Amino acid sequence: MSLYKCPECGRSYRYSVSVCSWCHIPLVEEAWEGATAVAVSEVLVPMLGHEDVPYWCVLARTHEGYNLILKSDVAVSVGDAMSAVSDDTMLSEVGVIGSGVMGSSIVELLLTRGHRVVWLGRTSAGLTRAKVRVLDRLGRTQDEVELQSSAQRLTISNDDAALAACDVVIEVVVEQLQAKKDALRNAEAAMRSDAILATNTSGLSLDDLAAGLARPEKFGALHFFNPATRMRLVETAVCSRTSQQTSLELDRFARSLGKIPVRVAATPAFAVNRALMPLLNEAVRELEENVADAASIDEAVRLGLNHPMGPLALADLIGLDVLVEIMDNLADRLSDETYRPRPLILRMVAAGELGRKSGKGFYEYAK
Amino acid sequence: MGAFVIGMGKTRFGPTSKPMFELAQEAALDALRDASLQPDEVDAIIVANFLGGPNEGQLHLNSVLAGIFPGVHVPSWRTEAACASGGVAVHQAVLALARYRRVLVIGVERLSGVVGTQLARNIGMAGDAILDVAEGVSFPAAYALVAQSHMMRFGTTTRDLELVSLKNHANANLNPKAHFYLKKVTQGDIDQGPMVASPLRLFDCCPISDGAAALVVSSERSRDDDIEIRGSALASDVISLSQREDTTSFAATKEAAGRAYAEAGITPGEVDLAEVHDCFTIAEIVAMEDLGLCRPGEAVDAIRAGDSGINGRLPVNPSGGLKAGGHAIGATGVSQICEIVLQLRGAAGLRQVPGARVGVAHSVGGVGGTSAVHVLGAVR
Repeated sequence: MSLYKCPECGRSYRYSVSVCSWCHIPLVEEAWEGATAVAVSEVLVPMLGHEDVPYWCVLARTHEGYNLILKSDVAVSVGDAMSAVSDDTMLSEVGVIGSGVMGSSIVELLLTRGHRVVWLGRTSAGLTRAKVRVLDRLGRTQDEVELQSSAQRLTISNDDAALAACDVVIEVVVEQLQAKKDALRNAEAAMRSDAILATNTSGLSLDDLAAGLARPEKFGALHFFNPATRMRLVETAVCSRTSQQTSLELDRFARSLGKIPVRVAATPAFAVNRALMPLLNEAVRELEENVADAASIDEAVRLGLNHPMGPLALADLIGLDVLVEIMDNLADRLSDETYRPRPLILRMVAAGELGRKSGKGFYEYAK
Repeated sequence: MGAFVIGMGKTRFGPTSKPMFELAQEAALDALRDASLQPDEVDAIIVANFLGGPNEGQLHLNSVLAGIFPGVHVPSWRTEAACASGGVAVHQAVLALARYRRVLVIGVERLSGVVGTQLARNIGMAGDAILDVAEGVSFPAAYALVAQSHMMRFGTTTRDLELVSLKNHANANLNPKAHFYLKKVTQGDIDQGPMVASPLRLFDCCPISDGAAALVVSSERSRDDDIEIRGSALASDVISLSQREDTTSFAATKEAAGRAYAEAGITPGEVDLAEVHDCFTIAEIVAMEDLGLCRPGEAVDAIRAGDSGINGRLPVNPSGGLKAGGHAIGATGVSQICEIVLQLRGAAGLRQVPGARVGVAHSVGGVGGTSAVHVLGAVR
């Protein structure tokens, strides 16, 4: 929300047009630094893209003497000082550990939001392939200049030392306790002491994950949903030793990415997957018991529950191996065998039918 | 060359299951009947509509509406300028008289098919996608900022806003085609209305309506009760309040009003009644000032004194306005002129402004990004 001035005639523009419409010479950007609220409205009726109410629309006059309108999530009064530093510019360098489906999706999201990203994976070859895929997807919505900027802001590495400058690091490795603990401990050792370390675990105990950490007060969960570029929810959770400040920053960071954070207790599978896993498992059981074929079960649930996608197609999207991990973890931690994955899921995983990523699951996918 | 309204028609404003073509036909046939014309006796058709695309998945409305006049192949086009679409279409009709003898203007809108946050988003398309919508500025929020600015500068109060609402709801109860006809709105209802965007509460906001309105505009006067369009002017401004210096007034309205009065050869003091774009109560106050009917900051004096009532010194929105008459967006600017025509013919029934000879219609797009002002006069 800058002002663009013509150095020749002095006309000012609020759009970042490249030249003055009269003088045909490049405009000079005048960034604003400070402003004062001159009118404020508390908005209580939501609009698409602004579902969380109330929020405040602030008409502010900059010290340079022009108006701007800013949205605020906290109450603002007339006369309050407004700052140009927004949440978007905070935590600007982000590390992502893990090059699977979710890791790639989170990297894509971070690049579209302007962050510098350090992406860690186990093998250089796998990371390079994942990077090509992410840039390919970005190329569908970004022009050449933007895409070049995205590529320049993305660093790939298989050395934790690359995380040294990160403000926040998100761990997205395989959903297994030891693998995650190792990834977190190695990352922490390389990170700045004031940086935040977050796990994208969908079900493991945060206290167990924090057990080996030197700075558990800087640790918490940011649980994104697939695809992270489009799904608006981020479940946030803290362990018993997370600090109040880290807790607040987890939510603020999620919000700065355009997401709606929902705070949940650090219970197995949090709120969404705890409700989802039995649904998916039961749909598989329907298939086992010949209630209907896969497409019919999906169509019935889609239409009957108004879900955008049927449970079996969703299982394929998540990956059946991931489901097994989450379901076993739920069964173990809640001591309830009904959460165990159905035999059909186990047989399919054993046969390498993992869903979309392997080309076959409940449905077949063109490679 | 003159410009005359020789026929007018409109549907009731309010929710309906009727599709756009049916609403459009109802209004168009009323207008043609009023002008004693058959469909093939008009030379061009202009369709005013705002959200046919986002709400109904229907664009190319001029061709859609050709379906209500089979075999007619006259030139036709659709006009979109947000909530000013209707006013802009009438201005285009006046311009088009240089080429076509009779122009049929049809304003039509369906808003009841989409609800909630999606509808707020679609209407928000009249604001700037980056400067406004990305910062959560819905239309109520934008006008709330205008209201806050006006209150801060002139001492306007929420009580003044309530007086506008009460007056327009009372007028709508005299207008069988109004959205709120026979729906009495009392001080108690206003008090209980939830806050929408402070300081605007529910009854500061106009409803969203389905409906259509139509006019036949001609270069020739044929009958005594034809009404002359004495001034027709259009002006524009930057779209977002964040691009403006003054947020208590709309420069586009001042500009358009000045040109329309000059063309008509009148001063604002000669205006007998006005139909103004009161999408929110504050907008009526700002309109009275921008149209020169009151000095800046003084509209509230007229409102407190009851001057803007039907029998007052300066009747504003005898139809009930957008506030209570309803806002079928693309039809609204056309409907306002229908009301002025009825008033100048002396045919407005219970809401007739006594002795009205000169009327003004004022149609606004967005938060003052577009403004169309028409001055109409009785010929008799």
